[in-house]
Amino acid sequence: MKNAVQTLIFAAVLGMASSTLLVTASLFTAPYQKANQKAEEIRNYLAALDAPVPENASAADLIAIFDRTIRQVERNGLECFEYRPDGADAPQAVAVAFAGPGVWGPIEGVMALEPDMETIRGIRFFKQEETPGLGSEISADFFLNRFKAKQIISSDGTPGFRVRKPGEAKGSNEVDGITAATMTSDRVGKMLDTLAKRIRED
Amino acid sequence: MSDHHAQAKSSGCGGLCGGKCGSTIQDGVIKNNPIIHQVLGVCSALAVTSKLENALVMGAALVFVTAMSNAFVSLLRHLMPRRIRMIVEVAIIATFVIIFDQFLKAFYWDMSKQLGPYVGLIITNCIVMGRAEAFATQNPPLLSIVDGAANGIGYMIILALIAVFRELLGAGTLLGYTALSTAWYEPNVLLMLAPGAFFTAGFLIWIINALRGRKDV
Repeated sequence: MKNAVQTLIFAAVLGMASSTLLVTASLFTAPYQKANQKAEEIRNYLAALDAPVPENASAADLIAIFDRTIRQVERNGLECFEYRPDGADAPQAVAVAFAGPGVWGPIEGVMALEPDMETIRGIRFFKQEETPGLGSEISADFFLNRFKAKQIISSDGTPGFRVRKPGEAKGSNEVDGITAATMTSDRVGKMLDTLAKRIRED
Repeated sequence: MSDHHAQAKSSGCGGLCGGKCGSTIQDGVIKNNPIIHQVLGVCSALAVTSKLENALVMGAALVFVTAMSNAFVSLLRHLMPRRIRMIVEVAIIATFVIIFDQFLKAFYWDMSKQLGPYVGLIITNCIVMGRAEAFATQNPPLLSIVDGAANGIGYMIILALIAVFRELLGAGTLLGYTALSTAWYEPNVLLMLAPGAFFTAGFLIWIINALRGRKDV
């Protein structure tokens, strides 16, 4: 009986001590983590929109640029981010966010379109937990550059998008996937196909 | 003769660690290296070694977690009820792993993104639990810290060796800088995949054991 009480007390004290440590660590790092997340998202939006950003821009700089040039509007029930560089009247590009399941966790990203709403201006994946060195390469420039000037409609006008096996992309709405990351490529393809259809739905 | 030698060698921190400091470091880093000899912590050794930078950060995480958890397990070793000691060890380990993870997310955002779930998975790394159970429950705190750090460093060295091989031949880069130009070098993608890590680790263990003439396995 005495042993059991001792054990319980020990466990309770240890639990409280370690939770105090964890809460302290979390309170201390939370503002930095939030700022990192926010800046990361904004950096990706600006990059997808191909908006010029000064090198080594701080999180605050990025937020300032974002607030000045980007306006959030709703078009046909779709959350759109219109990009108007200083002095421009009409939007120069429109960004739409997307999300879906990856291999190890959710993937979130943003696709920017030219004002015609057909041609891809840029794309970024800002949240993903794909396999390091393989699937996570979807965030690498070599893959992102494949999307530039591609379309979200096929040559006969049907909305849709495909990520094909490496070397097999032919149509204007297809890109090559990543070697050794077939599952990630397929899932990204499905996500973008859904997005293309949602954008082109009138 | 050999006794004198050992004492002379460890006299640096011998006063604090009861003269076992040098041999503890040697054990952890070389003689009883957690990956090469104990073959522990292999899961993460295979998972994060596709890039040297990732391997080094992961190694640093393990040095921190193993040293800190060893210290606290050792401090509590006389108070800890035997029946729940494993749970206590895991709770202590988990606390430090989460602290390290939070720290990465706050100050090394990019690295945290790349390592993803593997930092959290240090909780299940057998090296940490193994050192807490096998060493810290039977030794004083300072010596336990030395043991934890030494094992972490042993882990880091092997990870770095595997990562250098894999990143260099698998991607043609080292720490992100191009080392082998793709103009004349075709990267071997197999090395970036999990089996590539498995082969590399296997060959490394073989080579090191052969060089040392170790037969008692």
